[in-house]
Amino acid sequence: MKRTPFFTRFGKSEASVAWFFMAPGLILLALFVFWPIIYSVPLALTNYSVIGKTEFVGFDNFVKALQDRSYITSLVNSLLYVIVVPFIQIFSILMAILVNSNVKGIKIFRTAYYIPVVTSMVAVALIWGWLLNQNGVINYVLSSVGLMKERITWLSNKDTALWTLMFITMWKGLGYYMMIYLAGLQSIPKDLVEAAMIDGANRMQTIRKITIPLLKPYVFFCTLISLMAAIRVFDEVFILTMGGPGDATLTSSLYIYKQGFQQFNFGYSSALGLIVSVMIAVLSIVIFRFNRKGGVNPY
Amino acid sequence: MLMVGLLAACGSGSSGNKEAAPNGNSDGAKAGEQVTVEFWTISLQPTFNDYFDKLIAEFESQNPNVKIDWKDYPYDAVLNKLMTNISGGDAPDVVNLNTELANQMGTKDALVDFNQELTAEQKAAYFPGIYSSTEMNGKAFALPWYTGLPVLFMNKDLVEKAGLNPDNPPKTKQELNEWGRQIKEKTGAYGYIFTMEARTLLEENLPFLSDDYKKAAFNTPEVEEYINENLQLLKDGVIPKDIINYDKQVQYFASEQVAMSLSSSPFINKIKTAAPDVYNKMLAVPSPVGKAGIRYSNTMNIVVPSATKHKKEAVDFAVFVSNAANQLEFSKIANTLPSTVESAKDPFFSENDGTLEGMAKTVSAVSLDKAEDFYIGVESAKDVNEKVTKALQEIYLNGADAKKTLTQAENEVNKILGN
Repeated sequence: MKRTPFFTRFGKSEASVAWFFMAPGLILLALFVFWPIIYSVPLALTNYSVIGKTEFVGFDNFVKALQDRSYITSLVNSLLYVIVVPFIQIFSILMAILVNSNVKGIKIFRTAYYIPVVTSMVAVALIWGWLLNQNGVINYVLSSVGLMKERITWLSNKDTALWTLMFITMWKGLGYYMMIYLAGLQSIPKDLVEAAMIDGANRMQTIRKITIPLLKPYVFFCTLISLMAAIRVFDEVFILTMGGPGDATLTSSLYIYKQGFQQFNFGYSSALGLIVSVMIAVLSIVIFRFNRKGGVNPY
Repeated sequence: MLMVGLLAACGSGSSGNKEAAPNGNSDGAKAGEQVTVEFWTISLQPTFNDYFDKLIAEFESQNPNVKIDWKDYPYDAVLNKLMTNISGGDAPDVVNLNTELANQMGTKDALVDFNQELTAEQKAAYFPGIYSSTEMNGKAFALPWYTGLPVLFMNKDLVEKAGLNPDNPPKTKQELNEWGRQIKEKTGAYGYIFTMEARTLLEENLPFLSDDYKKAAFNTPEVEEYINENLQLLKDGVIPKDIINYDKQVQYFASEQVAMSLSSSPFINKIKTAAPDVYNKMLAVPSPVGKAGIRYSNTMNIVVPSATKHKKEAVDFAVFVSNAANQLEFSKIANTLPSTVESAKDPFFSENDGTLEGMAKTVSAVSLDKAEDFYIGVESAKDVNEKVTKALQEIYLNGADAKKTLTQAENEVNKILGN
């Protein structure tokens, strides 16, 4: 008797096969990602604290959030953190172009730039904390070469703390985006560049007219994920400043964490989380729309 | 948000602990019924396995119907684990928590009130200043267990280089400031490390909240004057301008950038590992006191979640673990201080073998009667402390106007307190 192949018996279309393979992942996602997110919505309407009695409080948590000075400050700080996005993209594209060249020993640089990405944020933050303290190496070097008179407490000063954290985030993330752009660069057909060269284009012109335009899908992807990461930044802030001094580096993720896991106000922190999620969704839609309309046209 | 959702989803319905509603449990097992009491500690396995195995065996032999199931979790994991279990209706019966967490849970009616469960004699066994640290509205949420008191660690070399006599150390905050100034002047190192926390006001007996705990009371000329004194110390380089967390404190002291540090016994091991040469130059003396004459203690407590299914057995075990005899034995092997009056009288705490550890033990033990676990006795204590600490940081580190910042913090604290 002729045996029917398994997938033919299971379903006739290719889509059925795809669903079959995706099912385990989707089930896990549904259980551990989608369901908790959905569950956060009714939770935000309660005073849920895990350990105490739960009562329905309506929209009180959202009203409270809009009057909570620390939360507003944390949102402003999170939005300010987005400033890091264009810089991280520009520098990682430049680095990718640099390490894409055929210079001898360039693989060492590729590896070196990637090391911060694979280093744990805890280690990175502790090292930077050490370098940046009042009597740390950075202050020592800067004052030795006469660049500053008084030593700066980079992470304890409200004027410098957030910018310093942004710099650390950028330093750590550069290698990650560089690798994505490097993959993008290597997918650009060489004959396009060679043809341009034959037509008399110089290096800068090929970068501007060929490389950058063809990297556009990569720029879109990296911008989107780095934007989300910037708004959700947590690790470096948690380890280095805990939101201080004052509220100078308090980000929305840290404040949500503090409300939930330190104050047991899980209902309130769910409401705060939903507000941030809506913000990220709106920003993402704007970027999608912007990209659909052509985005920044460099040529 | 994902984590919150996950945690909530672990529970059943919107009130995960509905079944084990606060104070809605049985008072204990029926006669003859065998019960298992789940006991959680923080980072004590495997170092103290022998001690706990013996302790548990002794309790079980005295209470044949009770079996103790001992589990140990790292500090970072215990809170999440506890909340997940309570949420899932599977609360442990006896848990080791620090004062802050005990109070946080207590104010949400999640813990058994020991004032209801203990006799006056049992309560009197503990140092009153430490026992009262988890008392609020007539309820005591925890039994104090082992504790630690700060001592003043000094770098003998730096102190002597500054022309000061380490045998006659500073006894008050005022003297500490004078020593700090001289050290800065003569050696260039910072005098001491200063934590910019709200409790510094209480240590100086400065007003904090009104007597009825209903209003902020720290916006006064006395507080401003105290802040100005500290600002001058920061300006003169007597205390560093960084926000000093524990790791940074170790870093400053280990690299000899600072001559004195107020810390407790675990600080010794940190320095010993980070800088053995500095460890060899260290001295431990009683910590100087502010105008309130109190010393901040850092206590580990035993609590019984109100969701326990075996309240009587759990309370009995909590009392047993923290009784004078067992605390004394634990102090001897763990180098901690007891929270019970009787244990502290043991000669062990006055014997100094000449080592730094011995010095730290004796000087902190004699301070136990001045020990108070800093807690301001309101439900939202954590929020209040955070607001005041932030205001102090704004003034000390960012040059914010003291009067204006205190007024703003006063408004915020009043709002938290419901005004």
